[in-house]
Amino acid sequence: MDSWVIVMMMSASIFLGSIALFGFIWAVRSGQFDDKEKYLNGAKYDGEDELNHAVMLEKKKKKLKENYRPPD
Amino acid sequence: MSEKIACTHCHLEFDESVLIQEEIQNKVHYFCCKGCQGVYHLLNDSGLESFYDKAGDTKLAPPLEQFEDASNFDAPAFYEKFVKSTKDGFKQVSLIIEGIHCSACVWLNEKALQKMDGVIEANINFTNNKAIIVWAEDVLKLSEIIMMIRAIGYNAFPYDASIQEVHANAARKDYYQRMIVAIFASMNIMMIAVAQYSGFFTGITQEYKNIFNIAEWVLSTPVLFYSGWIFFRGAYFGLKNKIVNMDLLVSTGATLTYFYSIYITLLELGEAYFDSVSMIITFVLVGKFLEVLSKKSAADTLDIIGKQIPSEVHVLKDEKIISLKLGEVKVGDIVIVSSGEKVLFDGTIIQGDGSFDESNLTGENEPVYKQNGERVISGTVSIDADIHFEVKKDFEHSTLASLVSLLESAINKKPKIEQLANKLSEYFSSVILLVSLVTFVVWYLWPHSFEVAFMVGISVIIIACPCALALATPVATLVGLSLGAKRGILFKEAAQIETMAKATTLVLDKTGTITKGKPEVTSSHNFQDFDISLLLSLVKLSKHPVAQGVLEYLDQKVDAHLVLDTYKQIPAKGIVAEYEGKQVLGGNKKLLDSYEIECKHKSENTLFYFAIDKQVVAIYELQDSIKEDAKQVIESFQSRGIEVVMLTGDNADSAKRVANEVGIETILSEQTPEDKSKYIQRLHDDNKSVVMVGDGVNDILALAHADIGIVMGSGSDIAVDVSDVVLLNDSLQSLEDAFKISRTTFGLIKQNLGISLLYNLITIPLAMGGYIIPLIAAISMSVSSLLVVGNSMRIRLQWMKG
Repeated sequence: MDSWVIVMMMSASIFLGSIALFGFIWAVRSGQFDDKEKYLNGAKYDGEDELNHAVMLEKKKKKLKENYRPPD
Repeated sequence: MSEKIACTHCHLEFDESVLIQEEIQNKVHYFCCKGCQGVYHLLNDSGLESFYDKAGDTKLAPPLEQFEDASNFDAPAFYEKFVKSTKDGFKQVSLIIEGIHCSACVWLNEKALQKMDGVIEANINFTNNKAIIVWAEDVLKLSEIIMMIRAIGYNAFPYDASIQEVHANAARKDYYQRMIVAIFASMNIMMIAVAQYSGFFTGITQEYKNIFNIAEWVLSTPVLFYSGWIFFRGAYFGLKNKIVNMDLLVSTGATLTYFYSIYITLLELGEAYFDSVSMIITFVLVGKFLEVLSKKSAADTLDIIGKQIPSEVHVLKDEKIISLKLGEVKVGDIVIVSSGEKVLFDGTIIQGDGSFDESNLTGENEPVYKQNGERVISGTVSIDADIHFEVKKDFEHSTLASLVSLLESAINKKPKIEQLANKLSEYFSSVILLVSLVTFVVWYLWPHSFEVAFMVGISVIIIACPCALALATPVATLVGLSLGAKRGILFKEAAQIETMAKATTLVLDKTGTITKGKPEVTSSHNFQDFDISLLLSLVKLSKHPVAQGVLEYLDQKVDAHLVLDTYKQIPAKGIVAEYEGKQVLGGNKKLLDSYEIECKHKSENTLFYFAIDKQVVAIYELQDSIKEDAKQVIESFQSRGIEVVMLTGDNADSAKRVANEVGIETILSEQTPEDKSKYIQRLHDDNKSVVMVGDGVNDILALAHADIGIVMGSGSDIAVDVSDVVLLNDSLQSLEDAFKISRTTFGLIKQNLGISLLYNLITIPLAMGGYIIPLIAAISMSVSSLLVVGNSMRIRLQWMKG
């Protein structure tokens, strides 16, 4: 057995593991574990309307950010 | 009785006759009030009607109909305090939404706000009902946002999010991420280390050794520099304050080992110690995380107090009633308070009379009757009084405001007893660093090569790795916390267990703590036969604690409801009514006197007289009785050498009676909330550590000042917030349990620290002698940590059985 096999196996497993780790850390950072109830209910209330609403909200945010003039 | 029908909006059930009927799209809807009807139409019009599908049968509070003007949310002073600017220049405010019952409510609030033009973000936390709203100020005013929340049937209060709570949460999250990275890397490193160790005994070629070393190097780098950043920071701040702390030991040990291992790996010299680097960091980080996890945030407390103070009062000016903000009311203004409202200023009554609930200040539930010319105190609540009073002090100097500011300072300046482990680790760290330096110098001069001497010196630090020391306290306190939780004792912060174990003085409040806090009938005297349901119907009309006590006593025996005519409640005296032409009255001696009814019965207890047509037919004696286990529990404290003191706002006689009965010698009666906290500070000055037990608003100052504030679960919300320990089942027995648990836990901490020190006593000489190989270092680290955890589990099991 050549040593490159063990190098490859180890790097592959550590790489895959770190992808999972970064996924988890991303989830923690984006606040998905802050409010357990709400995220669980999010699945319950999911639907076409909600999707439309989310898209609309994104658009609105963008528009507001473009036109925003803070009052002095 | 006709069938009950649920209101379409709030789902509360009412008789059909009182409901508003409306036909909408060929379907009849019922509403309990205009408010509910309004909200229903608003939701339908804005396309949010699916709220009702989501809410199901959840009962909501009907929307409040009267609101104070929301325009004060736009005031500059308000903006300065609560509104922040985001990076993009938008405005952000944190609100507590009141009236959230279910997840559908959160959904509704978020959607309704997000639909508003100008709102960029609306995020509500379901668990604590706190909302963060970001909006564009040029499109929308904050008051419009508030009006929207109110329009859909909720209410919003601002809170200052800049205080500790947010910081505490952020710190917790930060620790968590660092810990996860450390654990992930350590687990992988240990897996690789297994291969290395077996290679150590069975023979391994340098080629494979290099592969493993480099893999470990890659994995341990984030552990040291990302996860271990906390220790570098801690060591830096320690050095700045000239303190040698455990962080310094951990960070020097780990860094030196790391660079030494790189050196070994690159020159192919011997054994690398990367596994030790990541294990030290991981173990100590887990210990630190446990500590951070069990820290309480004092932030919410002040929010709740602020919420309880209305922002406006009604003032009589030029014969007109106007609403003024608290800061605008001047000395000499006439303020109007109606029944059920809170008195917010100190002053003198100039018109009207009635009873006031002064339990916020005295702790006694008995209402106090006040009339023209008497003083009213801010913080008290009018029960049935409609009065006009002249303001004698402005709000900033009122009793209420000074209580709030005293409380704020007490919460921020809470005494902290230094923890045993912290004290110990300072010495430990200095000694180990010194020993390792000495070892290195001795080996180098002996003479050995620099590499060998350096390795032995480092192995001392590695083997003395304070893993077990770092875990000793957090693991023990976690055991204590879980033991407490099983018995209905909630410690809010782990460190308090240790503080409590060191307590020398126990201060008890009387009403609600030693006694049950409400009068109970102890004996009754019937002079004539009478219809007992008549008395029952009479006392049902009053909210007075004495009437309630009689009601509770009677309710066990009879169940009847008569309708009384011309019912009248006479403040501080009793109730008078008519039934089938007969005059029925119930109340105290003063009531009898004013109706010229004679009765010779005398007693030191509170008496409730019941008379029909000027004839006293029954007398009930009431007493605030002492909790069953009070005497025994207090005796057990005294036998353990803890000084027990009773503080009460009640008068000296009744205080003495209770104290004698339970065997307390030191009593202080007629104490105001400030007196109580001053007394606790005096005890502090005598170097005593004080545990204060109370239940009411009048105790909060003292609770906040004490080393440990314990509150009964039935206590007021603010008291529960200010306290450090909550006894959920109200019994004094659990107070004793809390003490027992804290002492056991403290003993456990000492044992654990002993184990880890003993372990080091054996292994450090071995390391100094140069007998330590990486395998032994790794095993010793795990074994000492396991011993500490195992010992803590042993205590837990013992308690579970006992």
